[in-house]
Amino acid sequence: MKTVIKTSELSKVYTNTAVPVHALKNVNLEFKEGEFTAIVGPSGSGKTTFLNVIGGLDKPTEGHVVIDDVDIATMKESQLFDFRLRHIGFVFQAYNLIPVLTAMENVSFIMLLQKKEKKEMQRRAKEMLEQVGLSDKLDVRPSQLSGGQQQRVAVARALASKPDFVLADEPTANLDTESAFNLLDIMLRLNREENITLIFSTHDQRVIEKARRVITLVDGAVDKDEYFERN
Amino acid sequence: MKTLLTLAWRNLWRKKRRTFITVSSVMFAVVLAIVLMSMVNGMKQQMIDSIISNISGHLQIQDVLYHDEPTMDHAMEYGKEVQDAVAAHDEFIEYTVPRIEGFCLASKELSTRGVYLMGVLPEKEDRMNNLLSRLKEGRMFTAEDDFVVIARGVANQLNLSVGDTIVLLGQGFQGMTAAGTYQVGGILEFPLPEQNNTLVYMPLQEAQHFFAAPGRLNSLILMLSDVSMADHLAGSIQEELDDEWYTLKTWEELMPDKVAAFEARDAQVRVFAWVLYIVAGFGIFGTIITMMYERLREFGILLSIGLKRSQLAGICMLETLFISIIGVIAGVFVGFPIVYWFYANPIQLADDLAEVMIDFGLEPFMSFSIASDIFVYQVLTIFIIALVVGLYPVRKLFRLDMISAARK
Ligand SMILES: Nc1ncnc2c1ncn2[C@@H]1O[C@H](COP(=O)(O)OP(=O)(O)OP(=O)(O)O)[C@@H](O)[C@H]1O
Ligand SMILES: [Mg+2]
Repeated sequence: MKTVIKTSELSKVYTNTAVPVHALKNVNLEFKEGEFTAIVGPSGSGKTTFLNVIGGLDKPTEGHVVIDDVDIATMKESQLFDFRLRHIGFVFQAYNLIPVLTAMENVSFIMLLQKKEKKEMQRRAKEMLEQVGLSDKLDVRPSQLSGGQQQRVAVARALASKPDFVLADEPTANLDTESAFNLLDIMLRLNREENITLIFSTHDQRVIEKARRVITLVDGAVDKDEYFERN
Repeated sequence: MKTLLTLAWRNLWRKKRRTFITVSSVMFAVVLAIVLMSMVNGMKQQMIDSIISNISGHLQIQDVLYHDEPTMDHAMEYGKEVQDAVAAHDEFIEYTVPRIEGFCLASKELSTRGVYLMGVLPEKEDRMNNLLSRLKEGRMFTAEDDFVVIARGVANQLNLSVGDTIVLLGQGFQGMTAAGTYQVGGILEFPLPEQNNTLVYMPLQEAQHFFAAPGRLNSLILMLSDVSMADHLAGSIQEELDDEWYTLKTWEELMPDKVAAFEARDAQVRVFAWVLYIVAGFGIFGTIITMMYERLREFGILLSIGLKRSQLAGICMLETLFISIIGVIAGVFVGFPIVYWFYANPIQLADDLAEVMIDFGLEPFMSFSIASDIFVYQVLTIFIIALVVGLYPVRKLFRLDMISAARK
């Protein structure tokens, strides 16, 4: 299967602190198309830093992040904006959505920035909202949605533009158990149906059990990289 | 672009009350500034009109030396050259007012006073400054008559009544003695004491004869159909005249002290208006800063998912412009009817003030101006303030660390 992301000797050192913090240490990982991967590890182990670096939001101190044969670690900020827009979907822990836009508009937003054709955009946005079970909330603004529903809209937005992969940093952290499972199920199903590579970080043991690949970080280094058969 | 506009517009109404208050503060500043400027400009226009019709006219043709040294020796020849030059610009000139004028001594029996003799064509003067309406006793001369009409103050000082005889003695053209005896045919009343105590009017031709300056004038006043043409026309007429002998002066050149006074007043008004604008500007500034800081996390996320910094900055700038433009439009919509009403119904001034105004030869009304540049000035100024104020969030956004912003 095609490799979507390949990191080599990835390191990140924060020097703006009293003592330099080695948030990532020589991380060598490969992610294949269609994988559904959980990044786990104790607090401060570097999960967020890792996702930020492979998502082009942050620069590694050393090493390479190769996506689509290009090393994004060497890109300029302005190129990265465009790269993220075209290749990567993001889901954050909370406050993902633009408050003044409806669910439908939020889901269309990335496609709008990509200047997709309007009809196609609307069709796709509707389809995605159906996929996440919110076809009755098309014209509702985020403030009228529950936390779980908001995260589902965020997932729909991240996947609507068919990015190369989707990064989600603790997408379930603010949700109750039921909503968390529900969101995970949706992500899992979309991962299968749309064959989109999904990488998410989490603390939640029950959520981890859904993933087919689990990478454990400890002190910024890869401690374990395990594959599981699930259905 | 449409997306940015939509976002900016909707963002404004996230906190309706705050936006409303900010827009109102801009609106009030604009309304106050409009009323203030309209009032001051109205009074200024009133005074300019009065100066133009009572004193200077729009434009004057004079002998080159007359303005600096107003003596009879610098009376210009009013012949074919001047007449042709004026006729060539006929379409812009409504009418001309010829004058010959100078100081004289006036006496009756043993009393003598200094007076200012004006040789005029009565119907031209009347058209320019309603001279006939000042006539309180007797009758006005025609161009062919040879009697004088005098101001009330002169009559009182010399104890003259209609029918009496006045002796005038002055300096004529090129050192000639000017002397003559005239019958007083009428008495005029003027609001300004310096006019009322000095003016003596005589038919133009008789005055030229008196001053030994036949065919000469001290000034030929040109009244134009459009005042704003004055400068242009001055240049154009000058081209047809020998500049060794003739010069053209606009009312502004003839009345430099008045123009300076107007400019000083305009500057005061602008300072006051700017105080209003700055207060409104701080209002806008406060609002957009709060709007920005309470959305930093949202900004971080927007930048992460692929919105460019310039697009986000555009949204913030548009929000600032929207607030300001709505405020300014509301201000114009509220301000215009107010000043229009006062324009159509000038405020009648109360007794004391009214007397002062009349003394200065003005109508006792406070008139307002509805000149469009008052409104254009508001719109442009607020627009510029908005641009300046809006730069702050733009600058901030270009420096925003999106990771830490998104994290907070
Ligand atoms: N901007 C920063 N400046 C300095 N140090 C930082 C910064 N961001 C992260 N760190 C440090 O880097 C290390 C890794 O942080 P990171 O946020 O990646 O951990 P994490 O695994 O996501 O933790 P959590 O589970 O609490 O989210 C931590 O020690 C953290 O304090
Ligand atoms: Mg984290």
